[in-house]
Amino acid sequence: MVLTLLSIVNALYFLYGSIDWIMPGASQPVTDRASDIDGLFKFMAVFGGAIMLFVAGYVIYFAIAFRARSSDSPDAVGVQIHDAPKLELWWTVLPTLLLIVLTGLSIVVWYKIQFGTAAPGLTTEVIGHQFYFEYRYPGLKTSVFSKTSPMHLPVGVPVRLLITSTDVIHQFWVPEIRLKAAAVPGLVQNLNFTPLRTGTFDVACSEFCGVDHSLMHGKLVIEPVAAFKKWLDSENKTAAAAGGAINLAAGTPATGQALFAQKCAACHQIAPFEQKLVGPGLLHITDDPAHPALVTGKTPTPEHIAEILQNGFTGPIGTMPNRQANGLSNTDIANLVAYLSSLK
Amino acid sequence: MHAGTSTTHDAHDVHDHIHPPPEGFVRKYVFSLDHKVIGFQYFFTGLLIMFIAGSFAELVRLQLTDPKGAIMSHQAYNTMFTMHGTAMVWLVLIPLVTGALGNFVMPLQIGARDVAFPWLNMASFWILPLAALILFSSLLFGGPHAGWTEYPPISLADGTAGALWCAAIFTIGISSTMTGLNFMVTIMKMRAPGMTWTRMPLFVWATFATALMNMIATVALSAAVGALFLEHVFNVPFYDAARGGSAVLYEHMFWFYSHPAVYIFIIPAFGVVSEVIPTFSRKPIFGYKMIAFSSMAIAILAFTVWAHHMFPSGLAPWLQLPFMILTYAIGIPTGIKIFSWMATLWGGRIHFTTSMLYALGFLITFTFGGITGVFLASVPVDLHAHGTYFVVGHFHYVVAGGAVMGFLAAIPYWYPKATGRMLSERLGQLGFWLFFIGLNGTFLPMHWLGLEGMPRRYASYVDFAKAVPDAVFWNQFETAFSFLMMASIGLLAFNVIWSLRHGKVAGINPWGARTLEWTISSPPPYYNFKKVPEVYGRPYDFDKPLPYRNTDNELDAFPEYGKTVMPTPQPVGAGV
Ligand code: HEC
Ligand SMILES: [Cu+2]
Ligand SMILES: [Cu+2]
Repeated sequence: MVLTLLSIVNALYFLYGSIDWIMPGASQPVTDRASDIDGLFKFMAVFGGAIMLFVAGYVIYFAIAFRARSSDSPDAVGVQIHDAPKLELWWTVLPTLLLIVLTGLSIVVWYKIQFGTAAPGLTTEVIGHQFYFEYRYPGLKTSVFSKTSPMHLPVGVPVRLLITSTDVIHQFWVPEIRLKAAAVPGLVQNLNFTPLRTGTFDVACSEFCGVDHSLMHGKLVIEPVAAFKKWLDSENKTAAAAGGAINLAAGTPATGQALFAQKCAACHQIAPFEQKLVGPGLLHITDDPAHPALVTGKTPTPEHIAEILQNGFTGPIGTMPNRQANGLSNTDIANLVAYLSSLK
Repeated sequence: MHAGTSTTHDAHDVHDHIHPPPEGFVRKYVFSLDHKVIGFQYFFTGLLIMFIAGSFAELVRLQLTDPKGAIMSHQAYNTMFTMHGTAMVWLVLIPLVTGALGNFVMPLQIGARDVAFPWLNMASFWILPLAALILFSSLLFGGPHAGWTEYPPISLADGTAGALWCAAIFTIGISSTMTGLNFMVTIMKMRAPGMTWTRMPLFVWATFATALMNMIATVALSAAVGALFLEHVFNVPFYDAARGGSAVLYEHMFWFYSHPAVYIFIIPAFGVVSEVIPTFSRKPIFGYKMIAFSSMAIAILAFTVWAHHMFPSGLAPWLQLPFMILTYAIGIPTGIKIFSWMATLWGGRIHFTTSMLYALGFLITFTFGGITGVFLASVPVDLHAHGTYFVVGHFHYVVAGGAVMGFLAAIPYWYPKATGRMLSERLGQLGFWLFFIGLNGTFLPMHWLGLEGMPRRYASYVDFAKAVPDAVFWNQFETAFSFLMMASIGLLAFNVIWSLRHGKVAGINPWGARTLEWTISSPPPYYNFKKVPEVYGRPYDFDKPLPYRNTDNELDAFPEYGKTVMPTPQPVGAGV
């Protein structure tokens, strides 16, 4: 009786209460798939909760009701029954039926997730890197990097994300969207959904990918179509502007030093070459007899260092991200090069 | 095991090749062939490593009391959770539930004098410290970082430490396979006369199912880590996509083993609970056949569900479907077991010993872990919950709330048989409450943290704490409760050592239990059974005489034979 009541309370809570605290954004689904998944979650919470209450409740009730009493003789035994086929049939058939219903519901939602999205209005590539996501939009000349700027998606347009990785396995996850897919090197997976409302949401990597896995974080902005188009245009303009020349002579070491602490110190120390974090130490970049050349094989002139900062470089040590990934403007590059060249 | 030396005793009995016990410390306690001593060796080694691996977990918990990471670098944190998981799975749980319990209890329960291959058994044990040494030596090289799963390509960055990790897992795998084979043959061939399959105690059924999985599944793991080792050391590109390998391949092989591995820990716990509940309810186990067969059903189904760990990891979409349905199917035999245990309680005379408390606690926490498992089996919900703290919470309910609770129920139950002394009930019951409360306090909040957006294996969670400010409170809450579990295990270790000398003398059958091990002295003699007993029934009928003939003479000196000598019943929670 008490248990039935508690189960009903549990059911009412999950069906009609706000479960936002456990499933973020449940009351205002961010995508069409989110509401389907939440429905399935609620179904399981209602029945799973009831089963849990009944098992725990009866275990405790039996333990108390059938406890041995001090008035029992020491060799008192319990009721000697071995089975009760009818009862066993019930507790096999009922859970089986419940699981069959659950299978049906899961298949419906699963089908929608995998095959149910209308032809995508926008296809975006998501590429995992240690430790940021790179987004490539159709028609955009350069990529967008989660380190420096958020991912943007238009509301109401069916999107397809093509997800892959260049280094190790990552996982692209937006909790409010409820979907995730691993970014696996050599494999392209896709996620399909239609954003239903605007807002800013967290993007996280949910597969361990190295030292700074827990810092691999970004934002997703879902905005009206017009705002999205505007953003895409302005990205294109910035990309064009970045094509201009870098005035190396204008760089100042002090500004460069501050920038270095902010953008580079996660991977580089100001220490001898051998003291590597992710990348080599940079103290003697211009005057190391053991390493007269840069990792690119070129002489350590400011121009060549600037080239590495602009384009990035992948060598035996690892991957040095390019300017977009590190979020460097032309002046930033000039300042950093001035700083690195000043080190002795 | 026919040394050809003269038998000591009863030369006219064909079954009685009793070998003289070995002499000298080394033969007796170090390189012993006796399954009981080997059981002890597993027990103490496992318990020791449990402390080390548990301390790693506490460091992990301490780090998370601050969103920025309270006590160590990301690198060190990654090593800690990797070593915690690896050591707990391979060096603690599997050795404790199969090596310690299986070795000590199973041969006694089937009326055998030892396992089928005692030398193999000894070798299996000695591989364990070797593997432990290899694994812990990897710390000298910076330690592995990529989690207990060590997925490539990221694990390839671990260098020497990663190669040592592979070597350790490969080595311990040899031990698991050998133990599996040994136990299978023992159970198939060495049961006492008259002990048909359906008269076997349920713990033996559980050990059989476990041995089967150990023998078949471990090979896949060895292949997976063997190839990873070659990639580490010789740069053979099995898993490197850029050179034609596949990272997903590793995941398939790894989980082909590691899903059954979960059942390798949990089915012996099922076996323990199936012994403890009837004994302390003074009732036959309800639905003997259903429990026995469902263990086998689970063991077989366990091989068909591995990819439920990989729904977002790169499976063909249609392939998600069969794995989802098969995983749901496992819920059915599991449910049958839980209901059968509950029905065993009904109408019983329940005695609240430490073992029974753990068994009751097991019913609650394991059921919870089972239900959250159904959530994760559903592809759509898993696409949200995969890789988050929800998963961490789920499997700790299954492993700590299931396997470890089962193990903790077994210790006070068989300790009197193994040592001749009882564990302190007072300390034991206090330990139970610490463990039960600690477990729920530690792992319950993980479920909502995960669903709210906290991925696992996070050395810091600054961004997540911005989105969900409560996260800091809940993480500190979990850390506080985790120390209760640690305290409980400490209490157990103290109890185990203290009671060796100070415990009450146990006698042959302190619990009035009815399986064969309770018909011989405590501790049992070297040869276990002076005469091989004959069995003519199931062991669980508390109102009938024991179903054994030709039992030891020692039993004649035991006047309450066939009756129970239960200590005076205690009210709920007595002794706390
Ligand atoms: C994600 C880690 C990472 C970050 C962040 C990073 N680097 Fe690097 N960097 C590397 C790696 C790895 C290399 C070596 C690549 C190779 O040769 O394999 C490298 C190489 C270099 C080199 C060439 C060193 C030599 O001796 O030839 C310079 C210069 C450099 N980085 C400067 C910077 C600066 C300035 C920043 C900050 C804007 C920065 N890096 C940020 C990883 C990083
Ligand atoms: Cu990551
Ligand atoms: Cu599994």
